[in-house]
Amino acid sequence: MEQPVQTETCKAKSLEELVRILHRIFSEDKISVEEVQELMESYESNPEEWLQYAKFDQYRYTRNLVDNGNGKFNLMILCWGEGHGSSIHDHTDSHCFMKILQGNLKETLFEWPEKKGNGEMTKKSERVLRENQCAYINDSIGLHRVENISHTETAVSLHLYSPPFDSCNTFDQRTGHKHKVKMTFYSQYGERTLSVSTKQH
Amino acid sequence: LPAGLSQWFPSLEVLDVSGTGLAELGAELLALPRLQTLLAKNNRLGGPGSLPKGLGQAPLGRSLRVLNLSGNHFAEVPPALLELRGLQSLSLGGNRLHGIPPDIQELRSLEFLYLGGNFITSVPPELANLPSLSYLVLCDNKIQSIPPQLAQLHSLRSLSLHNNLLTYLPREILNLVHLEELSLRGNPLVVRFVRDLTYNPPSLQELAGRTVKTRNVPYTPSDLPENLVRYLSLATNCPNPKCRGVYFDSCVRQIKFVDFCGKYRIPLMHYLCSPECSSPCSSASQSSTSQSDSDSEDEASVAARRMQKVLLG
Repeated sequence: MEQPVQTETCKAKSLEELVRILHRIFSEDKISVEEVQELMESYESNPEEWLQYAKFDQYRYTRNLVDNGNGKFNLMILCWGEGHGSSIHDHTDSHCFMKILQGNLKETLFEWPEKKGNGEMTKKSERVLRENQCAYINDSIGLHRVENISHTETAVSLHLYSPPFDSCNTFDQRTGHKHKVKMTFYSQYGERTLSVSTKQH
Repeated sequence: LPAGLSQWFPSLEVLDVSGTGLAELGAELLALPRLQTLLAKNNRLGGPGSLPKGLGQAPLGRSLRVLNLSGNHFAEVPPALLELRGLQSLSLGGNRLHGIPPDIQELRSLEFLYLGGNFITSVPPELANLPSLSYLVLCDNKIQSIPPQLAQLHSLRSLSLHNNLLTYLPREILNLVHLEELSLRGNPLVVRFVRDLTYNPPSLQELAGRTVKTRNVPYTPSDLPENLVRYLSLATNCPNPKCRGVYFDSCVRQIKFVDFCGKYRIPLMHYLCSPECSSPCSSASQSSTSQSDSDSEDEASVAARRMQKVLLG
């Protein structure tokens, strides 16, 4: 993605419309990070529109594919039970947009560990994202951990990754050691996917 | 809650009174024979009388499967709650609990227990007597150690321990063969090899007990006073596979590092029968990079097979 193109601030009035506009945007050669982020933020979360994708798992957060963006991007909904969190991870050279649809998520940013990672990873910053806010990250910005720190509320988030990727690295906060993991979907297009491997990141 | 609740809605299965400011759940609920799920989070429950008297004997006590009391003001687990024999899922997250009552073991059907976000400082070994427990959340508390008995939770699939005060884990944690998720971030886990230098030499009684056990000296209950028979039954085998010794009260604490999945190193605490008895890795090395010993490799492969996924900080 390069510098911003002709920006007319589009507002997505429904999830369907959001997907439509995203398809249009991503069919272009030049795509603007700011435009996508504004678009994602403009969509006012309406649970009726995404409830069918929001499948929770008791033990950990889930990734539920909503749209495969004609190969240009993946749009998915993540469901976080109380206390569920991710490991520290990278984004395999892709762009990552994360919008809160329900509840709150805490995002902690980390610096990339030194080559010979052998010490505690450095925290850069942390923030709590509120409903309808949209965050953006890519590998040049850093690594992050995302977690639902609430003990009483679940959280739901909408993620866009471009280009799509199905594996990433997770990092041990105490040592900086990384470990490649494959990511899978808990459900796709509203249907539960049962796979042999249960590995998710 | 309206007094006529159980008459108007006798078939009620799910009731959500979350965020209503309730300070107590009254007797109106007791006669709901079909109520399986009761959600009462984010209220003002916690004082005496928060739960109705006679809960265990009422129809509600037999039917209830899911109880969510998160975000209230409970400073202790209300005893009435422990009468819910059929309860499968209990959440007391975000309350003011300072401990977990040993009688938690009464909740024989419990599969899901959420206690995150309290002020819990220790975990009773009786928690291990919950045979169906598969999801245990203890994150965001003040827990300093985990009892080794928790390794008896054979059904445990997910254990959440992040943001506590743990410096090590009991070695027995490796026995949790079905554990798929383990979160440990935000604990002051020991990162360097630690050997406990204070070792109280064994008493004469202990030395005698050890000899009886290791030499298989035969005895019958009529040969010894009852207290010594009991004492001899408490012998613990030294975990060092190359040692056949036992210990009673006098043991050496050692922290050993075990690799999970070849990438993460977890400090485990174990007890050996004497400072001379050692797993090969503990011999001289005091550095944190000594991973290349046979014993720790054996442990690593065992751990890697058993722990499929570890969520670490």
